[in-house]
Amino acid sequence: MNELPQQLVNGLLLGSMYGLVAIGYTMVYGIVQLINFAHGEIFMTGAFGALSVYLWVLPNGTTMWIALPLMLIGAILVAVLVAIGAERFAYRPLRGAPRLAPLITAIGLSLALQQAVWAWYPEATSARTFPQIEGGPFHLGDVTIQTGDIFLLAAAPISMAVLAYFVMKTRTGRGMQATAQDPDTAKLMGVNTDRIIVIAFALGAVFAAIGGVAYGLKYGQIDYRMGFILGLKAFTAAVLGGIGNIYGAMIGGVVLGIAETLATAYIADIPGMDKFGSQSWADVWAFVLLILVLLFRPQGLLGERVADRA
Amino acid sequence: MSGVGPVEPGEGTHAWDAPDAGRTTAAGVGPTGPADAVDAVDAVAPTPAARLFHGLVRHRGAHRRAVSAALAAAFLLAGGGYLWATRPHEAQQAAPAPPFPSQVVDVSYLGEAAVPPDAPPRTFAFDMVLGVESGPPVTVTRLTQPYAGLSLTSAPRAPFRTKAGSVRKVVITMRVTECGKVPKNAGLPFLDVTLRNARAIQAHSFILGSRYAHDLSEAVQVACSNESGHHQNT
Amino acid sequence: MRQRSLIAITAALSAGALTLTACGSRDSDDKGSDSGGTTVTIGIDAPLTGDLSALGLGIKNSVDLAAKTANKQKYVDGVTFKIEALDDQAQPSSGQQNATKLVADKSVLGVVGPLNSSVAESMQKVFDDAKLVEVSPANTNPALTQGTDWANSKKRVYNSYFRTATTDAIQGPFAAQYLINDAKKKKVFVIDDKKTYGAGLAGTFTEEFKKLGGTVAGTEHINPDSKDFSAIATKVKNSGADVVYYGGEYPQAGPLSKQIKAAGAKIPVVGGDGIYSADFIKLAGATATGDLATSVGAPVEELASAKEFVANYKTEGYKEAYEAYGGYSYDSAWAIIEAVKKVVDDNDGKLPDDARAKVTAAMQNVSFDGVTGKVSFDEFGDATNKQLTVYAVENGAWKPVKSGTYSG
Repeated sequence: MNELPQQLVNGLLLGSMYGLVAIGYTMVYGIVQLINFAHGEIFMTGAFGALSVYLWVLPNGTTMWIALPLMLIGAILVAVLVAIGAERFAYRPLRGAPRLAPLITAIGLSLALQQAVWAWYPEATSARTFPQIEGGPFHLGDVTIQTGDIFLLAAAPISMAVLAYFVMKTRTGRGMQATAQDPDTAKLMGVNTDRIIVIAFALGAVFAAIGGVAYGLKYGQIDYRMGFILGLKAFTAAVLGGIGNIYGAMIGGVVLGIAETLATAYIADIPGMDKFGSQSWADVWAFVLLILVLLFRPQGLLGERVADRA
Repeated sequence: MSGVGPVEPGEGTHAWDAPDAGRTTAAGVGPTGPADAVDAVDAVAPTPAARLFHGLVRHRGAHRRAVSAALAAAFLLAGGGYLWATRPHEAQQAAPAPPFPSQVVDVSYLGEAAVPPDAPPRTFAFDMVLGVESGPPVTVTRLTQPYAGLSLTSAPRAPFRTKAGSVRKVVITMRVTECGKVPKNAGLPFLDVTLRNARAIQAHSFILGSRYAHDLSEAVQVACSNESGHHQNT
Repeated sequence: MRQRSLIAITAALSAGALTLTACGSRDSDDKGSDSGGTTVTIGIDAPLTGDLSALGLGIKNSVDLAAKTANKQKYVDGVTFKIEALDDQAQPSSGQQNATKLVADKSVLGVVGPLNSSVAESMQKVFDDAKLVEVSPANTNPALTQGTDWANSKKRVYNSYFRTATTDAIQGPFAAQYLINDAKKKKVFVIDDKKTYGAGLAGTFTEEFKKLGGTVAGTEHINPDSKDFSAIATKVKNSGADVVYYGGEYPQAGPLSKQIKAAGAKIPVVGGDGIYSADFIKLAGATATGDLATSVGAPVEELASAKEFVANYKTEGYKEAYEAYGGYSYDSAWAIIEAVKKVVDDNDGKLPDDARAKVTAAMQNVSFDGVTGKVSFDEFGDATNKQLTVYAVENGAWKPVKSGTYSG
């Protein structure tokens, strides 16, 4: 039986999740040149927000078809609140400060959010189970797709389309583009840059929250550290795709996810490489790919759309 | 806290001074009370409340004895109750159920044994020792080994019974029936023994260690290296 | 100005983060300050936070129970036991720091822990140099007691290290024997997490599985930081294996089992004591039914002493379950208490000046009936009582299916 289609789907799913989170990195970076390392934790709080809705807002045994949209709303609310709070109280006071200051703040915030969930969310010291969508897996030829993955498969492209429309067609979206190009001039032209920055954080949080719910549905469990490694991967995906470019974030995510999956699946079969082929090496291969891409295209895969102002 | 800890006043007892009972220092308590019962009360209740109470009692001589006695009884009950509540938990299991057979049976490997001369080819034997440590007698109802290409008989034949405190030598005779189905160098071979006593019937594996593993694989290899091979012990 | 505020903010934030982190590690219960006598501290090192905290907190609570029981019974005259629990977060570096800290505290006469074999490696020498006895309730890597070349020539490395758990040298092969002989499995896919415990266990298992005539359909090493095992699950499915052996712990084993089954491979996942936790079933979900784990010791319900432990544990009202190593932790702590008692009794009821060395020496001859059966140690510091049980997931709980006793 041919394994490749299944492995590509595995990679696509993993990559879509990276992409959803990477959008937040890339949007914030595009507008304020800040690498928001706490974004992985915003993703995590979103997942816990969804779980909270399921546990304490909805009556027991609500079917997932009703619960899921409400959980999604809960996730988005929590993630957006955390993101806006972070922007308002942690980053805005440091706007104008050397770049290192907000970066360090972001790392501190990331730790603080993890520990806050660990300490105050009930039973969050170890992994908590996430509600699952009923129904068996779907088979398409050689490919098996889990019910929980369908959400991710649908959510990622829809989110991308909505985001593209928003950025390209709406007034606020054009304001974002303007701010990204030159914040001072944008301000002179009457763009409320403070508002635009808040919106960038909030939008990033929305996609992170969708990613958080997708994570819970896919793996059936969430924990307070889930955002850390995933956040790093998503950041890598954003860089791979060209940081500052929203399409790049999604493409970078998918490329990274497929690269990791294929490395796990096939490197060991290459003669003489069996020692370097297991999943524990997949990250190494993913970063080899990143370095190769950056060697030939320092701006990332789609990086030319936003001029580097650094 | 130490000694007699704080006692919550029980329903209807209203042991007023009980919460302070722990602070008792026997010295300096003694108002002159002839009755032993009152002394007993004093000894554990030197608090202001107790003194007040004591004073009251003194004025009502007639009730004094009865009240003091009741008070002493209440204390005894409270103290006893506390001790009972915090008693060492060993006290709970006065009559333990007999132990599970696998917890008291020990099987160990002695060494290779001689095979009777009239035994079929590819046969070898080992000496084991089976002991029962405690509890009711244990019966071995079945004794086998797990590999498909090997048959096993024991002497004494199962079932046999062993009393607590005694050990019994068991000779295991094995014959290779199919070389392809016996592992040549198993690292951790064991015997499957079904044990029964008054408590339970259990199937338990006894892993006999590396010396047995070595001797068994050697015997299997000798038996299977030569089709007519007859493993002789020297 | 700007620089200064940057530093201030950074410092404040890191301080905040550290304070929060510290929440998990200030767990030194010392309420036993009555009765003028000596106070002896039993140190504990285990992961009290993070993925493995379910096991770690079970260890801590069980040791606490042992100390409380000894105090209540006044088991050692004039000595009050208290515990000092440190969190190693399953990290060797934290383990070593904790070891140094426990050595520096002169009242510590014995340490129970750690959970992870990899952490133990970083602690052994620190304790041995201080002649401070360490009893692990959970380490199963044979090299810790019998030296790195244990398969060929056993040699004890640290005289202060003991353990009440059975080693992988027995556990891995026992699982292999069970799978081949009882479950009639022929083709295994072996996965490990590359850590000391997981890789060691997978190694001893694979060796015996092959010796018994089984074949290995594939091997894979997971990345313990990841939760996405879909690529591996697909490989497992296409390998045609009829069973998966996983050397590692439940935080990864749970999702791994779930994803392997979701990929369409309806085959059992088998592991060692590291997956024998209620959390495994929670994480693996409904499809975990039929998964197997070997764990050290006999099933709790077969031991009267274990029942009493379970009852007392409940009475004390600990928030967390005692998990796989509760009984072993209690016995480890009690072994230390027994050794202290011996030393005190031999010294006219007082602790001698070189109490640590004496306790370490006394530990070698400790023997008592513990929660998990008879507790005593062989010449390497390994438990002499080597019982093993195979458990299967049935109706959302672990059920014993086969037990064995090692007498070698």
